[in-house]
Amino acid sequence: MSTDLKTRVQELIDTMINPAVAGHGGYVDLVDVRDTTVYLQMGGGCQGCGAADITLKAGIERLIKEEIPEVAEVLDTTDHASGANPYYTAGKA
Amino acid sequence: MERVLLLLPTTTYRTQAFLDAARRLGVQVVCASEQPSTFETLAPDGLLTLDFHDLDAAGDQVRRVAIRRPIHAVVGVDDLTSVAAAAIADRLGLPANPVAAVAATRNKRIMREQLGKAGVPIPRFQSVDLAGDLDLAARRAEYPCVLKPLSLSASRGVIRADTPGEFVMAARRIEGILRQAGDPSQELLAEEFLTGFEVALEGLLIRGSLEVLALFDKPDPLDGPFFEETIYVTPSRLPPVVQEQISAVTARATTALGLRDGPIHAELRVNEGGPWVLEVAARSIGGLCSRVLRFGPGIMLEELILSHALGRPLSAIERDRRPAGVMMIPIPRPGRLRGVEGQAAARSVSFVEDVVVSAHLNQELVPLPEGWQYLGFIFARADTPAAVEDALREAHRRLHFEID
Repeated sequence: MSTDLKTRVQELIDTMINPAVAGHGGYVDLVDVRDTTVYLQMGGGCQGCGAADITLKAGIERLIKEEIPEVAEVLDTTDHASGANPYYTAGKA
Repeated sequence: MERVLLLLPTTTYRTQAFLDAARRLGVQVVCASEQPSTFETLAPDGLLTLDFHDLDAAGDQVRRVAIRRPIHAVVGVDDLTSVAAAAIADRLGLPANPVAAVAATRNKRIMREQLGKAGVPIPRFQSVDLAGDLDLAARRAEYPCVLKPLSLSASRGVIRADTPGEFVMAARRIEGILRQAGDPSQELLAEEFLTGFEVALEGLLIRGSLEVLALFDKPDPLDGPFFEETIYVTPSRLPPVVQEQISAVTARATTALGLRDGPIHAELRVNEGGPWVLEVAARSIGGLCSRVLRFGPGIMLEELILSHALGRPLSAIERDRRPAGVMMIPIPRPGRLRGVEGQAAARSVSFVEDVVVSAHLNQELVPLPEGWQYLGFIFARADTPAAVEDALREAHRRLHFEID
């Protein structure tokens, strides 16, 4: 099941997720799928971006769960602190 | 399932904390930012773009969304979104602070005027017109004084002046900061500099009654010329009677402003004259600092805020009493961040829970008063406030920032 899930998640990343985040210079890599948990890594403009959590939780995770209901959880393994070119940077507001 | 609208500026530090809290509470979230998300067309139910400054348009837009699927609470996470949150909640007929009350907290002169009228102890102040005669204003001022913009946050643009010459220089410098911030205001506040110890009070207003969640000491002296906050430690080491005075004055301040519900973050100076209110913000503590606060079994501040906003009953709010603290790592000098060394060594300091460098590599670091971003945070928890403070300082000493 994990292999099948992995294939389906990868296809979703290729066809819907990455085209969406590419607009802000970002990309998403599928790291692994273990049981029903998907592990992702964000790069480019997404890495360290102030809106990365919104993109992940309200965008990517929601989309994956809607299209692939077997997925229970989507986790971000990105080292955001090392992002050198985030699209949005956090600030005091 | 309950749905909460979170107003999350793209620049906020608070997103993860609030989204995690919503997940733990089993609440669905609609995220609204001032810039479009790359996923907005793919997830229109969960992502909105709102103009946080156009309250009518934002309220109309959310109302149209809420007709399709109800929204049960609106929470603004920062200063930037506090007024919009109140306005949108009002438009939806949800319980919220009066918009005018929240708006008053976003203008330091209006806030001072309302607090002063109500007899809340505040520093003496005068309004300064940047387009007017600054030399005259400088001659009329009392010294030392502190000049500050009306609406910026976290000590950005706050400058002490000890002489008329410094007054004029500070005013011009703040003018530049306002321009850089895209703030068209031509008005500043000049207030008396108060000696004493500074504290921050984190609270939750529940139907007009202030629940004090934490009182933080700021052990580093804040005497100027700039007022960079560094260390917050709770519980306070001030005598209990002084802590009670601080709570009472803050409660009076929130009442004077017309605030009734939701988080508040207040800054006060304490000296021989008692506590003096510097600021009351209708939002929770900024940056990543809320991580030091725990309530009950692993409940974080954001869960309390969301639960309250949803009208869920809050059982007795008991903060984990173990002393805790956070250092907002000061920016040592301007330049580009090329690297950070010593993070592992800093994390290994006893009682240090985490070190987070929030600035990214190659980011331009700008110290106060112009700066508007944090370099990072250090979190500690120990058996005594003194041990917390020592741990934060030791961890900071072990960090080395390469800046050129």
